Amino acid sequence: MSKTIDIQAKTRQLLNSGQVSCVIGYEIGPRGRTRPAFIYQPDDAERMVWNRSCTHNLVPYVSDKLQSIEKNTSTGETETTQQQVAVVVKPCDSRAINVLTAEKQFSRDQVYVIGVACEGIVDGAGFGREDNGNLQARCQRCSEREPVVYDILIGEPQEVEAVDDYSDLDRLTDLTPDARVEFWLSQFDRCIRCYACRQVCPMCNCPTCLYERDDSLWVGMGIRLNEKRTFHLGRAYHLAGRCVGCNECERVCPMKIPISLLNRMLEREVEAAFGHRAGAAAAPSPLVTILDSEDGISWTS
Amino acid sequence: MDIITRDQLAALLDNLASSRTLIAPCEAEDVLLYRRVPSSAEVAWDFDLPVLSAKGALFPPTERLMTVEKGGDAGEENAVQLNILETIFEDEQVIFGVRPCDARGFKALDALLLETDPMDTYYARRREKTTLIGLACGQMGPSCFCTSLGGAPDDWRDVDLMLTEIEDGYAVKVVTEKGRALLGDLSLRELPGEPTAPVLNDPLPVPGDEAWTSQFKDGFWDNLAERCLSCRICAYVCPVCRCFDVRDELVPATTFCYDQYERIRCWDSCTGVNYRKIAGGHNPRSEKGQRLRNRFNCKFYYYPQQYGVIACTGCGRCIDACPVNIDITEVMEHLVITQEGVSK
Repeated sequence: MSKTIDIQAKTRQLLNSGQVSCVIGYEIGPRGRTRPAFIYQPDDAERMVWNRSCTHNLVPYVSDKLQSIEKNTSTGETETTQQQVAVVVKPCDSRAINVLTAEKQFSRDQVYVIGVACEGIVDGAGFGREDNGNLQARCQRCSEREPVVYDILIGEPQEVEAVDDYSDLDRLTDLTPDARVEFWLSQFDRCIRCYACRQVCPMCNCPTCLYERDDSLWVGMGIRLNEKRTFHLGRAYHLAGRCVGCNECERVCPMKIPISLLNRMLEREVEAAFGHRAGAAAAPSPLVTILDSEDGISWTS
Repeated sequence: MDIITRDQLAALLDNLASSRTLIAPCEAEDVLLYRRVPSSAEVAWDFDLPVLSAKGALFPPTERLMTVEKGGDAGEENAVQLNILETIFEDEQVIFGVRPCDARGFKALDALLLETDPMDTYYARRREKTTLIGLACGQMGPSCFCTSLGGAPDDWRDVDLMLTEIEDGYAVKVVTEKGRALLGDLSLRELPGEPTAPVLNDPLPVPGDEAWTSQFKDGFWDNLAERCLSCRICAYVCPVCRCFDVRDELVPATTFCYDQYERIRCWDSCTGVNYRKIAGGHNPRSEKGQRLRNRFNCKFYYYPQQYGVIACTGCGRCIDACPVNIDITEVMEHLVITQEGVSK
């Protein structure tokens, strides 16, 4: 059976049994573009698809959905017996679930995880620009074929030989510090502060982003180089040890800012210094300090 | 038709660049943008549609409206003299390669910023100092729908000088005196005939006022918005979205002092979470569905009601830039079909 049929069948079953109230997956829009889909009725399960354009990391929608279910339940607008949401994930996406449960954004039992044995996603996915059929750069170096966390696995993971030697970072590390600054400033110069990178990111879940405060406390509102640099560098630091490399930030950037270079530079550092790989297990980043209510500080490392 | 060769045009642009700001489509690391160029050598001659519209040339992402700084001794004890310096845009600028949809976008902006009292003096000043050299599209792109909204890929009405690419260069149509002045005493070759008409897409049905009001409370908006990221791409690539926020901020200085402040205005978007937040923290548009509903109602209902023109030119940029495929034409189609069902 195809993965699409398996996902549809599972969706139908989960909704019919009432185990979950919503299944978050993928559908194809009228222009032929693959996009996120939210399925509530068993009859709508047939909209679900799996293909090599399923690029979106759907995990950021999980917290939103859980919150809105909670809100509706408490106001009595809907009757839900279970508060579970199901979500379709690729291996990279699945690591985001681990990070977010470790950071207590939701608990593992609130989410039914439909893991898909991934064969890589093509370039231009989501925008209807899949013409050349090449795998995305991040998929070419990825050897993860099985999600690290799931309740059901769709498809058979195939062995692949791919080595991530961080050679994409050579273009940066070969530069002198001055030239590197120049490189980044010319990239950030294009930024329009649309915040798509932040909005699409499973780890960017602060209720108030410190770069978008109404009082300009830490960074001003200007869509200018100074503010843009602060935003991008600050965001990268906040993702250290947390970024799972789904690379949605770079994909959605209308200005093609190579954000992955920043994230991967820090990923490599954290891996080298702490042996930590984001989301490989449900453990927080060693660079994150968790404050336990009034009991003082617990250092996670 | 009058013809200007590519070489003549390049020389003309170089000449213009030497005396004023020349803005043209150019490649900035693989991203096609309207940017200031020092000469015609930087111009991307064969281009489709830059990622951002030309809007930023008249309505910049960030504009300093004025600065306020502490002045010298005011004479009396404890008195502080403040100097307020308003920004006044002085440069003449030419935008080359304006697509008809973007030119139409300026027209739509004019309705609010120039023709509605009070006039936006910052926009007005830039508008007055700007000359538009339009470039017709040879065909409509897959996401284009300008013809559905009264535009056309070769629509010359909203520019000063219209160019249409032909085999031997460009056919020139002088539209305004400003446009004529750019050409100076350049002698153009005359050729018989007219440029080939562009290839058109089938026009889409546009929802009428009734469709927007009657479907205001439709569940469609919440469903549509579920996948919305609440980013601002759609508004920022749009030639007509013109919302902004104004704030007074400290001007960063090398020394730590509080002597100079600026009042800036920056692009803002109704799709952002904070946009509608009011004093006390309440947010009447806290849900994504409410925000998207506002975005589309603004374009096709509120703006036309208030200013007489649709706030969409059919350029299709928001369709191609949206990471989650929220598609304005799908919205239009849904409203039209639902309305037809209701009317029957």
